[in-house]
Parts: sequence; C-alpha cells; structure tokens
Amino acid sequence: MGLVRKKITGQPEQITWERLSADALRALLGDPDPDVRREAALGLEGVEEAVPDLLTRVILETEPNIRDSVLTTVSAYDTEAVAGALAVHLASDDAALRTAAAEALARMPRSMPALLPSLVAAPDHDVRVMTVMVLADLIHPDTGYWLTRVIRDDPHPNVVTAAIDALLPLATAEHAPLLEAAARRFPDDPFLRFTVQAALPGLTGTA
Amino acid sequence: MTATETPPRVLIVDDAATVRMYHRTLLTGAGFEVDESVNGLEAVEVAMSASYDLFLVDVNMPKMNGYICVEALRSGAVGSDAPVVMISTEDRQRDADRAYAVGANLYLGKPVAGERLIRIATMLTAGRGTPE
Repeated sequence: MGLVRKKITGQPEQITWERLSADALRALLGDPDPDVRREAALGLEGVEEAVPDLLTRVILETEPNIRDSVLTTVSAYDTEAVAGALAVHLASDDAALRTAAAEALARMPRSMPALLPSLVAAPDHDVRVMTVMVLADLIHPDTGYWLTRVIRDDPHPNVVTAAIDALLPLATAEHAPLLEAAARRFPDDPFLRFTVQAALPGLTGTA
Repeated sequence: MTATETPPRVLIVDDAATVRMYHRTLLTGAGFEVDESVNGLEAVEVAMSASYDLFLVDVNMPKMNGYICVEALRSGAVGSDAPVVMISTEDRQRDADRAYAVGANLYLGKPVAGERLIRIATMLTAGRGTPE
C-alpha cells in the first residue's frame, strides 16, 4: 500500500512516513495539502476499488500536476469504462483537463478502439480534434486506418488538417491520393492546402 | 534594412509540425526571424535564454498547454512583455477569455489566412524590429 508523507503538527520541519490502507489513501485524495493528494493518487496504483474515487478526483482536482498523477494511476486500468469516463473530458472547457485526458487516453490502446466510432462522429468538431490528438500518440495497429478515415470523411477542415499532421509520420506514397482529395474537398482552406502541398513531395519521392 | 535594424524574432509554439511549417513559411517570407518549440515546456525553456518580439502559441499541446505556457512566459522566470498571439482550433468564447486572462494579446481560430497573420505579426512587432 502507498506511503504518504505526514507533517507533524507544530513541527513543520519534521516529516514521517506512514503505511496507509487503501481506504485511508482514498480519503486523502481530498486532503487540503497538494503533496498529500499527489502521494495518495500515486499510492493507489493497483487498487482497483479506488478507480471511481480517482475518476471523481480527475474532475475535482485543480492542481494540474496532481491531476496528471491521478490520470497516470487511473489510465493503468485500460478498460472501456475508465476510457469512457475520461473521454468525456475531451469536451471540457478546461484546456488543461482536455489535454491531460487526451494524453491519458493515448496510453489506453486496449480500450480506445471501442470508443473511436462514437468519438470520430462527435457533433462537436473540437472533440474530434482532441480525438485526433489521442490517435496521434496511441500505439495501436489501427491508428492509420482511423486517421485515414477522418481525413476522408470528416466535414471540418481543422479536424482533417489535424489528422493529416498525425498521419504524416506513418504516411507513404499510397496516401497521396487521400491527401489530394482532402485538399480538393476544402479548396478555400489555405492551411490545409499548404499542408498537402508540403507533404506530397515527401510521400511521392519528388522532394 | 540598416545595420542597426534587426528582423523581429518570433517563437512558434505548436505540437503540429505542419502548423509550425505553415507559420514559419509565411513569417520568414515576410522577413521575420523564426524559431520553433513543440510544446509549452520547451517554449518556456527557450524563452529563458533568448529574447523574442512575438510568440505564436497553440492551446492544446502535450506536456504544457498554451495557457500555462503563456502564464510562464509572463511570469518572473521569463518575464517577457512581448506580444502573444494564441492560435487554436478551439473557437469557444471561454477559450478566448482564458487566453486574455493569462496574458495573451490576441486569440485567433485556425486556420489563419497568410496575409492576415503577416499583417497581425507586423502590427504587433512594430517598434520591436524591422522585417527585412
């Protein structure tokens, strides 16, 4: 079980370490001391019954580095339930939260594929951009398929350009027609046009 | 350009390689000197050792997002008073409000047309250097 630093009242310089139960660590996720919350989050690694508390803490935690610790612990549970709970935050108004959630989801290759059909069809194009951000870092054999599908079908140019950017490290000459078609779909988007024009020579070997 | 004039120096902060290339191409073509960082953390490190006349900062980036980056650029460690333009795919009003709250001078939605970006960069760096 995790270790939590404990300050001795009236003696701020003295610190002891106590071995705590899972229940105690779960309670400490709400401690006023940020260091204690962080230690509690990390200490709950491997404690499956703490997952609901950790997911709640993702919402309540205001310190970004502690939230990252919570997300590190909870993303180790690569299940659809956890991934689904984190995917909700891709729509957050809090940029730090939605970016941290995207980074956590990118570490969940077992469960993310099941969520992708709904995420790439999300009505909010900002959520679809964040989904592409997940795909860019997700280590999974189907990543290329999903990015290709977004480039081919997504109706918003920002989503398509984000997907092109994510696909480029994997792209080959076979992807050239896909990129050319994307540029034709959005002829008035200068950035998308530039992206495709810049990428094509590298793909077709004409650079 | 006279011997005493130097081109304004711009730091582009974006995790997307294509965005960095697009903005670099536009700005270098207009006479700006351009450096790049791939996330907010790297940008802060770079800005601690070099002086810039303008920052173009993305919002959603790994390691350190754009808002925290701008706060750090304005803080004592870097202490830059150079203009900051935040550029994002997000077009929520709350994102723009947050950008201004952390110290950005302008918030733009992607994509930014080339001529507009150059016009804004020229305006914001007026007096800080002279594009070649």
